[in-house]
Amino acid sequence: MTSLRVFFVGGRMTYRALFYWLTPQIYIPSLLVAPIFQILLFAYIGRSAGLESDEFYVVGNALQYSAIPCLFAMTQMIGGERYQNTLSAILVSPARRIPLFFGRALPVVANGAFVAAFSLAAGTVILGVDIPLSSVPALALVIVVAAFSCTGLGLINAAVSLRVRENAVLSNVIFGFLLIFTGANVPLSELPGWMATMSQGLPFTHAIKAARRLADGASFGSVSGLVGTELLIGLCYAAIGYAVLRFMEVQSRRYASLERS
Amino acid sequence: MRALRLLGVGWLYHMKMISRSPFEGFGQVIYPLFFATVAFFVFRAGDSPRTLLYASLGAAVMGMWSATSTTAGAAMQRERWHGTLELLVGTPPHFALVLLPVTLAMATVGIYSLGATLLYGHFLFGIPLTIEHPLLFAAAILGTVLSFGALGFVFAVTFVRFRAAWALGNLFEYPVWLIGGFLVPLALFPDWVRPISWTLAPTWGMNAIRQAALGGSPLDDLLACAGLGALYVGLGILLTERVLRSARVRASLSLS
Amino acid sequence: MAVVEAHDLHRTYRTHTGTLRRRVKEIEAVRGVSFDIEKGELFGLLGPNGAGKTTTIKMLITLLIPTAGSARVLGYDVVKDAREVRKRIGYVFGGERGVYERLSGYDNLRYFAELYGVPGKLQKQRIEELLELVGLKGREHERAEGYSRGMKQRLHVARGLLHDPEVLFLDEPTIGLDPVGARELRATIASLTDAGKTILLTTHYMFEADALCDRIAVISKGNIVAEGTPRQLKSRVESGSVTEVEVYGVPDETVERLRKLEGVLAVWVEEREQAQVLSVQTRADIQLTAAILGHLNGANVGRVSHREPTLEDAYVALVTAE
Repeated sequence: MTSLRVFFVGGRMTYRALFYWLTPQIYIPSLLVAPIFQILLFAYIGRSAGLESDEFYVVGNALQYSAIPCLFAMTQMIGGERYQNTLSAILVSPARRIPLFFGRALPVVANGAFVAAFSLAAGTVILGVDIPLSSVPALALVIVVAAFSCTGLGLINAAVSLRVRENAVLSNVIFGFLLIFTGANVPLSELPGWMATMSQGLPFTHAIKAARRLADGASFGSVSGLVGTELLIGLCYAAIGYAVLRFMEVQSRRYASLERS
Repeated sequence: MRALRLLGVGWLYHMKMISRSPFEGFGQVIYPLFFATVAFFVFRAGDSPRTLLYASLGAAVMGMWSATSTTAGAAMQRERWHGTLELLVGTPPHFALVLLPVTLAMATVGIYSLGATLLYGHFLFGIPLTIEHPLLFAAAILGTVLSFGALGFVFAVTFVRFRAAWALGNLFEYPVWLIGGFLVPLALFPDWVRPISWTLAPTWGMNAIRQAALGGSPLDDLLACAGLGALYVGLGILLTERVLRSARVRASLSLS
Repeated sequence: MAVVEAHDLHRTYRTHTGTLRRRVKEIEAVRGVSFDIEKGELFGLLGPNGAGKTTTIKMLITLLIPTAGSARVLGYDVVKDAREVRKRIGYVFGGERGVYERLSGYDNLRYFAELYGVPGKLQKQRIEELLELVGLKGREHERAEGYSRGMKQRLHVARGLLHDPEVLFLDEPTIGLDPVGARELRATIASLTDAGKTILLTTHYMFEADALCDRIAVISKGNIVAEGTPRQLKSRVESGSVTEVEVYGVPDETVERLRKLEGVLAVWVEEREQAQVLSVQTRADIQLTAAILGHLNGANVGRVSHREPTLEDAYVALVTAE
């Protein structure tokens, strides 16, 4: 039961830690308005270039954009702990690590999923894209898995950012790679071989593929394999991120490197 | 003429400062390249009469706009943070002559982005850099930079009351990329969008640059761009007085 | 016509707290400050931190608009004719900020010289002179981010003098300087009045005001509590003596009662490590030690001593009075 408490209490703390800096002034432009414009931008670029359909870009970008809240929120949360010098206190506590960290990640995933769902809905309405209602529950699940997967990557990013000063640049670079290599905008068949291979290991690639099929009316059963793969990728990233964080913890005990100097 | 000298000297020193922070510039140049990469792949795979050079130019101007939109809005906030806003306001010249060089310098950084994108497209995607009218091309770039600086000036003065000024600036990145017609011909947009595009100097600057590169007549586009730029400056000047007066009443020129 | 005229200046700050339920707090920093400064005077505004010195100066240099009252510099209203005022004044604030760190000291000065309209041909010469004056020669081409606090302070001073203004406003200019540097700066300031400039100097160092200023206004909690030449202020304390009693906690009513005693000029309490020191300034012709101790009956009392009053006592008495 303690694990469950740590999970939920830690989660609620993160929610508050998250939203103290994420004022509506920042939230609305960055997380609600911007993704809609990204969708419009690429949908029209697609029309201008004569490649694929509006639906292709709406689904791709709605999911890909959730990288912003997932990456930045994780970095802010972990970096915020460090700023308040509470990170090492947490790491030293006897609470079980896994529920601790996953509890903290929960609001981040929820927020990311919400952003993706919102922009997907808005994009389909604005561009007149048809998505069968029967696919919506399955799409919701795919969105959540996608957000989870990217948050896993976000955990690694956040852990690395503890040592690196200019962490906004790192997050933006990751966002850029996800823009190109997940099939969000560029069909994987158009990428050179080695790039397409690399895509398979990134978050979003499988989720976007599944979501596109669902939007075309496929059944959940036909995409369950893709969803499972995405989930697995997320778990791998989360495990690596966790390992990196524990490594930092050990290092900091030796070199006091986790306190803000 | 003292006004021109003032603009020049201000621009020079702020350029000096910007070029001494390579990390910021790095982010501004590299980030738009991701979008350029997507554009190149998409146009290469797509089925349209628009060439890769069209895409390259569009992506290059996207980068130019980013340089301004992500930084200009917070120009006054940055000065306040350094404790220099008060010093600048306390000088005799009209504040517009002091602030405009700052945003002009920020817009000038866009030239690095333009160059980087064109070279990137050339070396990695084999896009030929054949410019039909080089001199007019240079003039078009200059005109675009000036008008971006002017628009940045309006942003700086308008956003000064908003705490998250940088977030507002970012808000104008995507929309201008979209309706400025950088990668999308305006004809593809619904009718009601086009007049909005026409009020944006970036739309005309892009046209001028494209015409100069691909072979056409950029002069009237350049004129429109310059005209709009002048309008922005006028608007900025009107706002400046109000903004400063408000700041002096609310004691918001300094942090303490 | 006085060079600087301040008439009943008021300035209230409003701060907002909280995001959902916004509460507005109003702080009256300056509550009716008036003074005049004549040409060639070195006028001191003396007071502890938070007294309203910086706020007053900012109103005079056109950076803050008064909530009430008015001020003129060289005949120009600070609100309506701000630009005319700015052309003719220089101001120096202290501190780490206010310098373009990525530029050299020299470039900082070049930039502001241009902003202040120093003619192009004169800029180089003027800057060289100023660098010499403030003692930055040799370091001027290094980036300002590498400057020590004292060096930045000197750069501020140089910048304030670029356009050779008639009136100079200095806000705590020697703060952050080492004793030698501070002394040099004071000598520089004194020489500026010799050259005919009018100067308003704020400080919380009594001795600095005493040494430099022709006239001093003591400001406390937003009001001017005393004004005059250093000699006039001293005469307030020339007579009499100060009785100091070490106490361990003295109730406010006792302090009030002591103030009302006949022959008492001022009473103040200072914290000193474990105890407090109650100081009572009395007229020369009265012996009040017994009466004082009588009022302290019941309280724990340590050492009792008598001494001559100093200007510092006058200052402390003025600024700690209710």
